[in-house]
Amino acid sequence: MSNAYIDKFPAEAKVVKAAFYSSFLALALGGVFGVIQTLHRTDIYRFIDSADYYTVLTAHGVFMVITFTIFFLVGVFTWAVTTSLDRGVEDIRFTWSWVGLMTIGTVMAGVAILAGFVDSIDISASVLFTFYAPLQAHPLFYLGLVLFVVGTWVAGADWFRSWWAWKKENPDARIPLPTFMVLTTMIMWYIATMGVATSILVFLLPWSLGWIETVNPLLTRTLFWFFGHPVVYFWLMPAYLLWYTMLPKFAGGKLFSDPLARVGFVLFLLLSTPVGIHHQYLDPGIAEGFKFIAMTNTMFLLLPSFLTAFTVVASIEHGARQRGGTGYFSWLKSLPWRDPVFAGMALAGLLFAAAGFSGMVNAGMNINYLVHNSLWVVGHFHLTVGTAVALTFMAVSYWFIPQVTGKELWNRSVALIQVVLWFIGMTFMTNSMHRAGLIGMPRRTAEPQYTGFEFETAVGSVGELNAQIALGGVLLTLSLVLFFANIIGTAFGSRSDNLPDNGYAEALSGSDDAPRVLDNLKLWTAIAVVLVIIAYSLPLMSIVDRGGLFGPDITAFPANLESVRFLAFAVEHLGTAALESAGTLAWNTLPEVIR
Amino acid sequence: MSQATEEPEQLQEIGHDEYNPIGTLALIGLYFVILVLLWLFVYFVEFLGNDPTVIGAVLTMVGLQ
Ligand code: HEM
Ligand SMILES: [Cu+2]
Repeated sequence: MSNAYIDKFPAEAKVVKAAFYSSFLALALGGVFGVIQTLHRTDIYRFIDSADYYTVLTAHGVFMVITFTIFFLVGVFTWAVTTSLDRGVEDIRFTWSWVGLMTIGTVMAGVAILAGFVDSIDISASVLFTFYAPLQAHPLFYLGLVLFVVGTWVAGADWFRSWWAWKKENPDARIPLPTFMVLTTMIMWYIATMGVATSILVFLLPWSLGWIETVNPLLTRTLFWFFGHPVVYFWLMPAYLLWYTMLPKFAGGKLFSDPLARVGFVLFLLLSTPVGIHHQYLDPGIAEGFKFIAMTNTMFLLLPSFLTAFTVVASIEHGARQRGGTGYFSWLKSLPWRDPVFAGMALAGLLFAAAGFSGMVNAGMNINYLVHNSLWVVGHFHLTVGTAVALTFMAVSYWFIPQVTGKELWNRSVALIQVVLWFIGMTFMTNSMHRAGLIGMPRRTAEPQYTGFEFETAVGSVGELNAQIALGGVLLTLSLVLFFANIIGTAFGSRSDNLPDNGYAEALSGSDDAPRVLDNLKLWTAIAVVLVIIAYSLPLMSIVDRGGLFGPDITAFPANLESVRFLAFAVEHLGTAALESAGTLAWNTLPEVIR
Repeated sequence: MSQATEEPEQLQEIGHDEYNPIGTLALIGLYFVILVLLWLFVYFVEFLGNDPTVIGAVLTMVGLQ
C-alpha cells in the first residue's frame, strides 16, 4: 500500500485527473495549431489559406493560455488545498459543478473558434485571444468565456470554503503555505476578472448580439488589459507554488524560507493588477502620465520577482549541499539532473531568467517602442507562459499523474528527453523570434514578407531566423508527442503500490518565523483594491470622457451574421435567466471571499 | 522503470543555522550583471542607435516621453 494522493483522497483525485486531462487535450490542440502557424509564417510549408491563419492563431492562443494553463492550475490548486489542509473538499458535487462550468465554457468558445474554418457555418471567432473590438466574435465565444471564468470563481469559492471549515477547527494555526498561495492567487484573480467580466458582459456580448450598436474600443481594450496582466500571474503563481513547495523536495532540500514565500505572494497580489496599462504604451488616447504610473508599478514587480528567484535558487542549493555539493558554482553538478521532474522545472526556471531580460525591455516606456507588436514579444511570452509555466506543468505532471492515477510513470527516460527537447526547441524558436523582432518583423502576420522591402539583419539573415523558428517549432512538436505518449502510456498502465508519498517540501525557516499580519487576507485584499482604484479610475474616466461609454461609431468585423439574430432571440428569452443566476452566484461568493 | 522521482540520496543534514546560500548569491549576482549588460546593449545600440521613431531623440534620452 502506498501513500499517494489517490490513496488518501480518491474522490478528489478524480477531479484533479479530469482537470489535468482536459488541460492536456487543449495542449495537444494548441500544439497542432502552433506548428501549422510556425511553418506558415516562415514560409516553409503553407497548406492553409492565409486568411485562415488568424483562426489558427486564435485557436492556438486560446487553447494554450486559457484552457491548457487554467485547467491545469485548478487541478494543482485542488491538490494543494486538500493536501496542505489535510482534508477533502467540503462537497464533491459542488467541486464537480465548477469543473462542469469550465468544460461547457471551453466547448462553447472552442466550437465558435473552430467553426471559423467551415465556410458553410456562419459562426466564427477569429478575434485572437485578446478579442479587441472592432474584431467581433460570435456571441457563443463570449458566452463560453463567461461560463469558463464563472467556473473558476466557483472553484475559488470551493477552496475558500475548505479553508474556512479548516479554520474553525484550527483557530490559531497558521495557514499552511500551499493553501496560503492558492488563496492569495484567487483574490488576485477575483479582482482581475472584474475587468474582462465588465468588458464582455456590458459591452462585447451585447454588441455581438446586436443589442448595442457600437462599443468604445479603447475602453474594452483597457478593461481587457486590466485583466490581461494579472492573468499572466494567474499562470505564473501556480508555477511559483510548485517551485517553492515542490522543487526543493525534488532537489533533495528544504524551502529556504516560508515567510519570504508569503511576502512574495502578498506582493504579487498587490502589484499584479495596477500595471495592465504597460501593455498599452503605444495606445493613443491614454495620457503619458498614466503610462508612466503603470511603468513605475511594473518596476516594483521586480521586487517579488527577485525574491522568488533568490528563495527558489537558495532552496535548490540547499538540496545540492545536502547531496554533497560544494563551491560557488560546482554545487550545480550535485543536483538530480536525471530526474525529469527536477530537470524540467529547473530548465523552465532557467529560460524564465532569460525572459526576465526581454521583459525588462518590454517594461520600459520608451524602449518598448523598439519591440512593440513585433515578434520579440512572441519570443518573450513563449519563454514565460510557453516555458516557465508550460514546461513546469509538463515536468511536474510526471509526478502528479502517478499521484492521481495510482499508476507508475510509463517511461522516465522518454520524460527526460521530452523536457530537454522542449528546452532546446524553445531556445531555437525564441532567440530567433527576439532577433526578428529587433529588425521589425511583425507578430500576428501570416505572410511577413513584403515586395520592395528587405529586413536588415546585422548578423545572420532572415532565412536563418526563419529556419531557427521553424526548427524550434518542429522540436517542440516532437517534445509534445513524447509527452502525450508518456501520459497515455501511464494512463493505460496498471495500479502500482510503489509510488512516492504525497506531500510537499518542509521549510528551513518555517511559518512560525513569519509575522502574523502576513496571513491577514482582508488587509491585503483591501490594499489591493485601493491600489487598483488609484491606478485605474482616472484613466478609465478619461477614456470614457473622450470616446463615450459606447464609443464613437465603429464598424464591426466581420459584419453581423445571420445566426446571431436567432441566438440573440434565444439568449434574450432563455439565457437571461441563466446569466442572472450566474451573476447572483458571483455576487454572493464575492463578499464571502472578501470577508 | 521505477518511480517518477526517486528520493535523492542525501549525504548530510544541513540545518538553518549552518546553511549559507553563497552559491545562490553568486548565481543571482552573475545573472544581474548579464541583465544590466544586455539592457545597456539594447538601449544604446539597438534603440538609440536606430533612427528616431515617432518620439524625438532628445525626449527619449530623458526617458520621460
Ligand atoms: C508546439 C509548441 C509551440 C509552437 C510551435 C508555437 C508557435 C507560435 C507562433 C509561431 C506564434 C506567433 C504567430 C504570430 O504572431 O504570427 C505563437 C503565438 C502564441 N503562442 Fe505559441 N507556440 C507553441 C507553444 C505555446 C505554448 C505552450 C503557449 C502557452 C502556454 C503558447 C502561447 C501562445 C500565444 C498566447 C500566442 C499569441 C497569440 C496571438 O497573438 O493572439 N504557445 N505561437
Ligand atoms: Cu504585463
